[in-house]
Amino acid sequence: MSHWGWVALAYGVTYGSLAAFAASIAIRIRKTRTTLGENQ
Amino acid sequence: MTAQTRTRRWPWAASALSLLGAFTLAMVSPADSVQGDLVRIMYVHVPAAWLAYLAFAVTFVGSIAYLVARRLSWDRIAAASAEIGVYFTGLTIALGMIWGKSTWGVWWTWDARLTLTAIMFFVYLGYLALRRTTDDPIARANRAAVLGIVGAVQIPLVHFSVVWWRGLHQPPSIIRPDGPAIQDSMMLVALFVGVVAFTVVYVSLMVKRIELMHLDDRLDAAERAGDQPVAGEAVTAPNLGGSA
Repeated sequence: MSHWGWVALAYGVTYGSLAAFAASIAIRIRKTRTTLGENQ
Repeated sequence: MTAQTRTRRWPWAASALSLLGAFTLAMVSPADSVQGDLVRIMYVHVPAAWLAYLAFAVTFVGSIAYLVARRLSWDRIAAASAEIGVYFTGLTIALGMIWGKSTWGVWWTWDARLTLTAIMFFVYLGYLALRRTTDDPIARANRAAVLGIVGAVQIPLVHFSVVWWRGLHQPPSIIRPDGPAIQDSMMLVALFVGVVAFTVVYVSLMVKRIELMHLDDRLDAAERAGDQPVAGEAVTAPNLGGSA
């Protein structure tokens, strides 16, 4: 793989996992608020 | 969009903006004379490692503060920070493996830095598992605080492992006795902005994770209240004649 290929893999892992981690927290907050009967 | 919604979304907006700035600088900074463009992996690998240290240091402080003040809010801070620290440690290891394969030719080697980082990852996974062994918030906070304090011993061990033991991993780039190894000012700026951006992300994740913990506590309280029949639903509370 070229240097830029490795760089793209590293940044894909970083930004992809950050987005997934943040989304998991945001979804759990939304679900819990819904269960508590709070509107978004 | 209501003002309340805007308030709830500021951490995500701040994170996205800071990461965009860090990404731009990492891409426009010069290539390294030895590693070429592979040096750009440093701008995410090093900040991820630093944020892992910071997160576990906050867990350490939160654990001590809980044992001193006995306030569960400190325990929540320690727990939220440990969870985010585990994420950043996992990210550090993954990025290190990518960098290792592209420069050393191997995904993994039993170098002191790599081994100790993996141990730190599993110890804090254990911290999170320990928190799930009981529903009693006081017992949970007490047990977790002990591991949160003891586990912090690993932070200097991991950081200085490349100084104390010879291995494949390079020595520290910034905090070293003879000054930073990176001489190019643009590279230093890109690395600094990367650390700042990841710190903004860490703070945002902390704000949201603690918000979720508060919501979970309210949900637990509501469920507990729902499980127990309230006398007032069926009967009128007797007047015992006492003054209110």
